[in-house]
Order: sequence, then C-alpha cells, then structure tokens
Amino acid sequence: MQILEKSGLEAWKKAKEMKPEKVISLLNKKGLAGRGGACFPAGTKWEFALNSESDKKYVICNADEGEPGTFKDKYIIINNPETLVEGILIACNTIGAKHAYIYLRREYRYLEKNLTKIIKKIIKKADTDIQIDIVLGAGAYICGEETAIIRSIEGRRGQPYYKPPFPAVEGLFGKPTIINNVETLANVPLAIIKDDWNPNLRLFSLSGNLKNPGIYEMPLGTSLKELIALGKPEKSIKAIYFGCAGGCIPFNQEWKIDPEFINSTGCMLGSCTMIAVDESQSIVDIVTIIAKFFEYESCGKCTPCREGSMRILSLLEKISLGYANMDDIKLLEELCCVIRDSSLCGLGQSSTMHILTALKNFREEFEEKCRLR
Amino acid sequence: MQITLNGNKVECEKGKTILEIAQDNDIRIPTLCWQEDFHPEARCRICLVEVNGKLMPSCSTKIQKDMQIETETEKVKKTRRMNLELMMADHLKSCFIDTSNHELCRIVAEEGIKNIRFEPKKQHGKDTSGRAVVRDPNKCISCGRCVQACRDTQNITAIDFAYRGHKSKVTPYFEKDLHKTYCIKCGQCILSCPVEAIVEQDHTEQVIKHLADPKKHVVVQTAPAIRASLGEEFGNKPGTLVKGRMVAAAKALGFDRVFDTNLGADLTIIEEANELIDRVKNNSPLPMFTSCCPGWIKYVEHFRHDLIPHLSTCKSPHEMLGVLVKTYYAEKQGINPEDIIVVSIMPCTAKKFESAREELGNDVDYVLTTREFAKLIKLKNIDFNQLDEQDFDDPLGISTGAAALFGATGGVMEAALRTAYETATGKSLAKLEFDQVRGTEAIKNGSIHINNIEVKFGVAHGMMNACELLESYKDYHFIEIMACPGGCIGGGGQPIPTTWEIKKKRIEAIYNEDAGLSLRKSHENPVLKKIYEEFLGDIGGTKAHKLLHTGYVEREL
Repeated sequence: MQILEKSGLEAWKKAKEMKPEKVISLLNKKGLAGRGGACFPAGTKWEFALNSESDKKYVICNADEGEPGTFKDKYIIINNPETLVEGILIACNTIGAKHAYIYLRREYRYLEKNLTKIIKKIIKKADTDIQIDIVLGAGAYICGEETAIIRSIEGRRGQPYYKPPFPAVEGLFGKPTIINNVETLANVPLAIIKDDWNPNLRLFSLSGNLKNPGIYEMPLGTSLKELIALGKPEKSIKAIYFGCAGGCIPFNQEWKIDPEFINSTGCMLGSCTMIAVDESQSIVDIVTIIAKFFEYESCGKCTPCREGSMRILSLLEKISLGYANMDDIKLLEELCCVIRDSSLCGLGQSSTMHILTALKNFREEFEEKCRLR
Repeated sequence: MQITLNGNKVECEKGKTILEIAQDNDIRIPTLCWQEDFHPEARCRICLVEVNGKLMPSCSTKIQKDMQIETETEKVKKTRRMNLELMMADHLKSCFIDTSNHELCRIVAEEGIKNIRFEPKKQHGKDTSGRAVVRDPNKCISCGRCVQACRDTQNITAIDFAYRGHKSKVTPYFEKDLHKTYCIKCGQCILSCPVEAIVEQDHTEQVIKHLADPKKHVVVQTAPAIRASLGEEFGNKPGTLVKGRMVAAAKALGFDRVFDTNLGADLTIIEEANELIDRVKNNSPLPMFTSCCPGWIKYVEHFRHDLIPHLSTCKSPHEMLGVLVKTYYAEKQGINPEDIIVVSIMPCTAKKFESAREELGNDVDYVLTTREFAKLIKLKNIDFNQLDEQDFDDPLGISTGAAALFGATGGVMEAALRTAYETATGKSLAKLEFDQVRGTEAIKNGSIHINNIEVKFGVAHGMMNACELLESYKDYHFIEIMACPGGCIGGGGQPIPTTWEIKKKRIEAIYNEDAGLSLRKSHENPVLKKIYEEFLGDIGGTKAHKLLHTGYVEREL
C-alpha cells in the first residue's frame, strides 16, 4: 500500500531545504487534496496560513475520527505513525509554526502511548524544536469539526463557530492555524519524496453487511462492484452509505467511485467510508438509527440542528412504528431541507443528507410504512 | 462597495454586515440571538438571507463586492418559519403573550404563523427561589443573549450553556439555584432576554395586598433613575422626565405617602463625603469605593474579600430613607413602625436582594422594578399620560440636583465631590459640573485639590469595565462603581428595550433635572439639615452611624 511507505525523514530534509512557497507549490502540483472529506487542496490551505502575519502559528492534526464506519486514520496511526509525524513537522516548518497538536479522539486513547513514543523519536531524529502535543477529545462527534476542535483545545465548550474568520487567518488562540486530517498529513512526506506518488489512491473503510470489512487502498474511479467485492458481501447489496453524514445510494454495480459523480447523486464521498447494506435490512430502520446518532451528537448551538434533530428522530420513529401518514413524510422532508440549508456548521448541514437521499432513492420503503396505517 | 439588495443597487461601507446594511436601508430582517454591541454568534438562524443562492446569517456575514442579497425569497421565508416553529413548539406551552417586549412572539405574529406542527416535548424545572432574579427554562429558546450579557458586559458568567443537543440549556453553574451562586443580581440578563425566560421576582401581588389593608401605612419611594425611564412604559420618548406624573400615579395607586429616594441620596452623600474626608485624614483604607450599588457590593463579597474594608459603610439611599421613615417619620407622625410598609421603586433587581439582607432588617419591605411599577399602574387602568403632575409628600420629599445625578454613571461621584469639596474647604465651587465623570466612556477619572491634597477619583460602570478599573484601583482615593452599563438608568429593572441610544437619552434627562433645580448640593438640603438637628445629631455621629451605616459579609464563590 502506498500509505504504508516510509520516507525515513528524507522528505523532512528535502522540505527543510526548500522555500515554504516551493513546498506548497509542490504539494499543489502533486494534487494533494484534504482527506477529511471536503477535498480542499492542502497546499492552498497552508498558503493562507503562511501568508497570515503572526508571532505564533499552530498546526492541528485532526485525529478525531468520529464518522461512524470510518477507521482509516486509526489504521495510519497504528501502521505508519512515523510518516504522519513527519508530515506534521513539515507542515509546521512550512507555515512557520513551532507548536502542533494532535487532536486524538478519546476512543483511540490506547494509541496515545505508542504515538507519544514515535513523536519523541522522530523529533529527536529530525533535530527540531517543534513541539507536538496530543490532546484527547472527550468523545463528542462535533469536535471533529475544525472550529470545534479549536474551541476544545482552548479548553472551551467544544462547539463550532461561524466562519470567517477562517482558522488559517485566526484560529487556535486567535492565531493562524492549519487543521489537516491524519491521512492528509501522512501523505505529505510521500507526496514530497516519491516521484510516483498517486494522488488518487485513497483508503476506503468498508463495513456493513460484509464478510471482510476493513481498510482497502484503491484509486478513485474504481467501480462500486469491484470495491464492494473486496469486502465479500454474502447477500446481494441494496445500498451503500457513505458514513452517516454522506448519504446513501442504491448499489449500482456500474457506478464509479468519483467524488464529482457521488456529489451529483446528492451524496458526499467524504472520507471514503462505505457501509454496505444488504437486502435484508430496512432503510427506514437504518435511517432512524442514524437520526438517533445525530440527535445525540448535535451540539445544541443553532436552532435547526438542536431542535430539528430531535423532531426528525420522533418523526422517523413514528414512521418506523407505522403510525405516520404521508403528511409526516412531507414534514420530514421539509425539516430535513431546513436543517441542511440553515445549520451553522458542516455537521448540522450534512446531518439530514442520509434522510434526503434515502427519501430520494428508497422512498417506497417509507411510503409503505405509512400505508400500513 | 456596491451590492444588490432585493434587486436594488446599494452603495455601502466595507466591513459592515448584511444586517447593518439592511437596517440602514430600512429593510426588515428579524433577529433573535443578535444584540447590539455584542459579537454575533449566529445561533438562532432567524436572520438568514439568500446570498447568491445560498442561505447566510445576515448578522455575522460581512458584505462583499457584488453580493446579490435577497431577504424575502420563498426559501428564506420557509426556512425562517420552520426555525420559528421549532422554537415555539416548546416555548408556547409556558408563554403568556401579554407584553410587547416579547420578541419571539412578535416575530411569529409578523410571519403570520398560526399553527405549530410540533408537539411540546421538553419539561424543565423552574428556578423561582431567588428574591431578585427567577428563571423559567421552559420559555428559553437558547439564543444565548443572557449568557453574553452575563459574560461579556458583566464578566460574571453565573449562567452558561450546559449539556448538548436538544438537552442543552442555559443554567447556573452546576445547575445550582441562582440564589446559591455568585450571580450579582444585576439583571442585565433580563434586559437581554427576548422571551421573558429570565425575569425579576414579582412582588406586585404583595404590594397590592398591603395597599388594600387599611391597617397598614404604605409608603412608597422612587429612585432617581425612575423618573427618566418610567415614561417609556407608557409610550413616551426615551429621556422624558415624568416626575410629577409618577408621583400622581403612586398616589392614585393608593400609597399613603410618596417620598423621594433622592432625599436618601442626599443623605448618603452627606455621610459618604464625611466618611471620605475622615478616611483621608485618619489613614483609613483608601481608596474608598461607593456602596450604593448592591450588585457591586455582592461582587466584592464574592470575588474581592480584600476590598471589603475599602467599601463605604454608608447604606444605599433607599435603605437610608427606609430607616428614616420607620424611625424619624414614624416618631413624628406617631405611627407604630410595625404598621409601616416601605416600598421602593428601583431601576434595579439587585435592590430586591439588598432589601432582604439580614443586617438591613426591615428598613425596606418590598422593592419593585420600574417595570413592575408600570405593571401596577396598568393593572389599575390609570391613564398615566393624562395625570396631573403632583409633588412628593412632606416631610421626606425635598431633594437637590446632586441626588438626581445618582441615576447616571459618574453621578454619585459628582454629587459626593460637590459636598466633599465644599464641606472640607468651606469654599464654594465655581463650577458644579464635573465633566471628567460625565459621559459613557468605560472608565472615567480625574482629580481635584481639597485642602492641598490631590484627591484622585475614578468611575466605572458595567462590571467588565469595573474589573478593568480594579486592576489599578490603588491609584485612586475614591472610586464609584455601578454594576450596570450606564449606571442605574441602564439597570436590570428598567423598561425593555434598554439600548445605548435610549440610555444616553435618559442620562441627558437626568443632567437636565439637576441643571433645572435651584438646590444642587446635598449638604444644602434644608430637610436634612433639620433632621440632623432634630433627630440624627452629628454627621457621622453615633446615632447616624447606627442608623445609616452597615457592614458586609464574605460570601463563598
């Protein structure tokens, strides 16, 4: 796998010799896009932070892998932490930060000990005064959102705030900050040092009704059929969920895994999470379970997400139990759109995508529940 | 910079938000969590507008060149209505739409929402234990304005959000009852709340009961800041002085005597100026802090035990007057003090807490806020604006311009300086106005030479500013602190809304009242001269000390 290759600090040495602008343009040329879900070009993000004048700057590695069904960052932290730490050092050096934080989700705290050891080792080997600290989250899903991470590290209530100002201009403790996902940062040294580094190779977290769930590295553009086959489904697959927040599509063998195409279906590829759902499952039940997740994980700051997620759950429970009528489906749909359009942060905005896409692709399952009435 | 607002090209300044541009152009955008002078948090999502096809919160989105802004598209309306319905669903069951102050219900009515499609679900306990401020979390819509007021203007943070998602709520820390916290009862949260989820403890019913009791001699006194704000409750412009009508209304309500807290203020100044001169002479702890603001006192008792010896021991004006009513006046009139009920009309919620302090006894029985007083007048169907002006009752109805100043930030300082200078030097001030302590700057200071001593004074209003002043309090001899921004005219018991624009008008009215009076120095108050002669004895003497001074306690955090 490409992601398991090591640079052995060669990339760090090379980047240190280069001007920051050159590192950034190299990353842009190589096409390194953010792997956290938004696919924002990593180099461009760094450029904003580089150009922000400040006495202090920070780098945050987002290891709060909270999206259900996603476990690629854990895979990297376990199997190639050296390259990840090297990537963080390169990021610090490029934008001029002396301090970096790894925001590790609480559920991964058993990785902390080894990661601390590796950080010490790499920093010593790299002979740098950059400091890397691990901050453990408290388990809130919202703290994977970049502004909420900032608040959480600052010791405040982990809630997102309205951007602008963007973190690259005014982030942690009011200083320019870049926040990159684990996979993005782990790819930085490889992109710098390997001539044959392929930007299209992504880590897919496969789970659901599969015999062989796990992490698979495949290029974007692979067909759904090929990818799901890796996970060895036992029954015929009905739908694919892109995590909880990414929405669902019917399992069409010919469709290709391509971010733009996935977007056109109303879903989001996000961090390449795929939960396979076979025909024995009820979509309404799955949607209800996910809605429960979002109801529990809403931070409560803005009205639509705080109040709406609770209302959505009760509407779905009503549908699921067969007490609903068609008006309830209409209300559900309207509410989902309002939450999508008016929530404050990305979490709220994407929290109803799974319902809207389920209503689009599997509407008959919802209507059938209502007809029972 | 040019933008398009609802199809019209609009020129506007860089750095402004969409909401500000809309307000400048008289375009209505409803808001709930937004409040003037605060950093917008964009929580409520009511002020969303469509910008180039995307919904953005107008309160916190800065304008950019060539923005296409639409404030009333179908999408905007639909989204706004849904969010309002979501808020109303749980709010409605505990809401009594009886006032125009209720922003949420007003917006809901404006939007023409008749039907809420969701059932109420949440059930919270009320917190009505406090004597001053009470909360009904069932009405709360989590807009966060009270939290902002408590944290950003007052630097207290007695209340904040706890829990998350739909379980999140505004609550005192550790979900304590509010009266068991270090809340200073200033009531700025009440002024901020758009849904009356946090209000003063209502004492109107008790007062009505006493008014109806022929055995009770019910005396009312009105604070200096009331006459400059009460009119607003009856549609008068901010800054209208309604002294005469206010007295008439109190009499129409059936109070047996209407006295003026301003007389108590004059008395406070005489005692306080004397105390200041004493402290300077005798090397007692300096600087001396004013003690008429009960919110500030409570702050010191919780957070700054080291400053307790620095607090003036003078009771606040309405407590002083309360004592006089129950001693001097009772004696003179031959009324048993136990049959006298003293009601103070105050711009303040912390006064409610103060009147219940043990060491102050029963000097004052009830404190009503400006709003509660207006409510009484409305309940009795008194046509306030048609009342004929009347004067305060004898013998406790004569006061000076200095006392009038108490309502505005810097006023106590100015009044005290007038008296301290003249009594200590025996000379007359050429100019009575101390411009250094006037105005609404956060911190004001200056100095004056009294008998070759340069007396340095500082003034702060709003606890955030006060905390800043406390950083360098040792530089001063005398410091006035008022917990509420603007002083008592911006108090937590004042009419809603209380914005800076309105507060400045009220301050103007107060300075006009002072300027229009012939007596402008507290120590020249003829009634007080007589009371000292007949009853109190020496200024700062044993009897005066026993009746007019008090002590403070250390409170836990």
